[in-house]
Amino acid sequence: MSIIFNNVRIIMSGKFFPGQKVLVEKGKINMVGSSIHKNVEKSIECNQKYLVPGLIDAHSHLGLFESCSPMNDIAESWAEITPHLRPLDGIKMRDRAMEDARRAGITTCMVCPASELPIAGICSILKTNGNSADVGLIVEQAGVLMSFGELPKANARMTEKPHSTRMGMTAVIRETLMKAQDYYAAKQSKKVVKDREIDMEALIPLIRGEVPMRACAHRAEDIMAAIRIAEEFKLKLVIEHGTEAHLLTSVLAEKKIPVVLGPTLLPRFREELNEKTFESAIILMDAGVDVALTCDYPGLPIETLRVAAAMAMQYGLDERRALAAITEIPAKILGVDERIGKIKKGYDGDLALFSGHPLDIRSKLEALVVDGDLFIFSNDVKVEMGS
Amino acid sequence: MKTVLEKGNIFYQGKFQELDKLVIEKGKITEIVLASAKAKKGKAVPATKKKPEVAGKTIDCTDKYILPGFIDAHTHISLEEEGVGWYDADFNESYGLATPHVRAFDALKMRDRAFKDALTGGVTTAMITPGSANPVGGQCCIVKMVGNIAEDAVIKESSGMKFAFGENPKRTYGEQKKFPSTRMGTAAVIREWLMKAQDYLKRKKTKEFKEREIRLEALIPLIEGKIQARAHAHQADDIITAYRIAQEFNLDLVFDHCTEGHLIAKELGKWKARAVVGPTLSSRSKAELKNKTFDTVGILMDEGCVVALTTDHPVMPIESLSVAAAMCVRHGLDEERAIKAITENPAIILGLDKRLGKLEVGYDADVVVWDGHPLDTRSKTEAVFVDGNKVI
Repeated sequence: MSIIFNNVRIIMSGKFFPGQKVLVEKGKINMVGSSIHKNVEKSIECNQKYLVPGLIDAHSHLGLFESCSPMNDIAESWAEITPHLRPLDGIKMRDRAMEDARRAGITTCMVCPASELPIAGICSILKTNGNSADVGLIVEQAGVLMSFGELPKANARMTEKPHSTRMGMTAVIRETLMKAQDYYAAKQSKKVVKDREIDMEALIPLIRGEVPMRACAHRAEDIMAAIRIAEEFKLKLVIEHGTEAHLLTSVLAEKKIPVVLGPTLLPRFREELNEKTFESAIILMDAGVDVALTCDYPGLPIETLRVAAAMAMQYGLDERRALAAITEIPAKILGVDERIGKIKKGYDGDLALFSGHPLDIRSKLEALVVDGDLFIFSNDVKVEMGS
Repeated sequence: MKTVLEKGNIFYQGKFQELDKLVIEKGKITEIVLASAKAKKGKAVPATKKKPEVAGKTIDCTDKYILPGFIDAHTHISLEEEGVGWYDADFNESYGLATPHVRAFDALKMRDRAFKDALTGGVTTAMITPGSANPVGGQCCIVKMVGNIAEDAVIKESSGMKFAFGENPKRTYGEQKKFPSTRMGTAAVIREWLMKAQDYLKRKKTKEFKEREIRLEALIPLIEGKIQARAHAHQADDIITAYRIAQEFNLDLVFDHCTEGHLIAKELGKWKARAVVGPTLSSRSKAELKNKTFDTVGILMDEGCVVALTTDHPVMPIESLSVAAAMCVRHGLDEERAIKAITENPAIILGLDKRLGKLEVGYDADVVVWDGHPLDTRSKTEAVFVDGNKVI
């Protein structure tokens, strides 16, 4: 199938330019420019509306959290650590939130278990259009979610775990990583035939440095603990939430550690959120830290991703970087920037057409393309069928 | 950039003397000239022409008291942050029993206001240790009281292994209806882990060794004598039990609290004990504190022990360290030794006496200017330098 968007504004070197055309063929963006003449199946006249790459939320529990139900598949609260949990096995593609995501212009999400345990499970990257999670999933093992601070402490308190302090939490993580290193070394040596251990197997890509540790941390101290552990075990690191990341700007910039920031729209209902500010994004970005914004669904409704970017603009961030924080940069942080996050030839056909400026919250999403699948949300969109 | 403190009374070589000037450069003390030395020299012209003075700052300290930053060799600063709830209490792994692998360093919260309070009270360095709920409690660290991140403040990430004897562990586990609920049980847990660690170390040196065990890894530096054993013990018999175990396993032992130390002063003297005494200002809230007295410090010092005072913050607030020293003076200790108990002696006990605890050339420029005698509780800190930086 091929679709062409005629007469759209797209962002080019930091600014929206009108009069552009974008052609999607076989699920990929095939051509971008002002003069494309090609016979296509579906042609959409857009009257200078705004076309942006499908939005990306780099931290969510989409499909694991079940809407309107007390029965979640979001965390194994009673276990000690669960590095081997796979989102794939719990995602519900027909959950309402999946449709909400599409209606919000979101085409890709990172999905992970909740951050209740020091080691919570695998992070996966999912498109929002699939009929089954297997189809939607683009990267299954995209990192291991670890958690620091209040949430694992609250869980330990509720379930009377042996480890209930920050000292204990970091010790559990260190203990597990040490085991995983030794497990992997033993496996490599081939001298000993070892029975596999499912939790250790899940950690091998992390130990090999293929995927990052995605560390949920709000307080500066908890972020530092994550950095310390990542350096000890030579792991790649992404900070998730990063409420106090702006207090550690120089450390994060120097070590090139990206931050998936948010959900900043939430009220400060926990102590560790005390320093929360919408200025974080600009402070960190000015220092050269890669920042993606997240609404941490169901922390906030998935539709609020654009609002987070608009709020960052209200606190000084420019248009280009605010949009990048929900497109290009999350793609980079998720390690899939060679295929999503930009309107560029060869990239996945993930596009969102807005009636007005995408960061004006009054603008409506009129059409969405995910991997070339077209979803129409407005009667204003007229599709001409080609020959 | 250099800073010069001029005039005033300096606590130098164990007593107050009149200062001419003290120079701070690049975080260290680079020159100390006493008024008496200058008077002797008269107006002698220096042999070589001096280079022009580097721009700097001179502070007139006439009538002030200049001391090394105080050191508290046993605190829990920021592990149980002040003024907050359970969510920032990172003090005791109360279900863990033996947790040698947990590190206080990983739970420091640099924005705890106690760090500022410490500086206000003239304290510039503290040892921070996990609590005393577990027979084997975890690793202590030593930090200065300034820094945005713990890495800025750190002197030693892991300086000692905390052990607890007496009421605390037996209460913690007894109340959970678990082993140990007696002093015998507590000692058995400690012995068991030390024994395991010794054998583990032996096994690690063989070829068959494959997989590491983090708790035993954590005990290796202790067994090898690279870090200290820090024994929480109040009652005389608990102090002796700690010594007995340390002898069995050849550990580098420091006694913490040592509340009944004066009852076994002869023994402690014979062992050349190092003791961190306190928090003597707190109340006798449990049976093992019934013999608590401010006389302990003097008695142990008379026997030749190295004694430091502690607030055990947050048991007593960190600013009360100088008050504890003043209380000892009230109970008969001489002023000089009371000051040593919060400067030189804790530095010796922490193994940092080559760089901290004294005002000497080459030492860290952790310098505090008091507007009156530091053991007069009405006196205030007017200027506090940590590593040469003026932080107050």
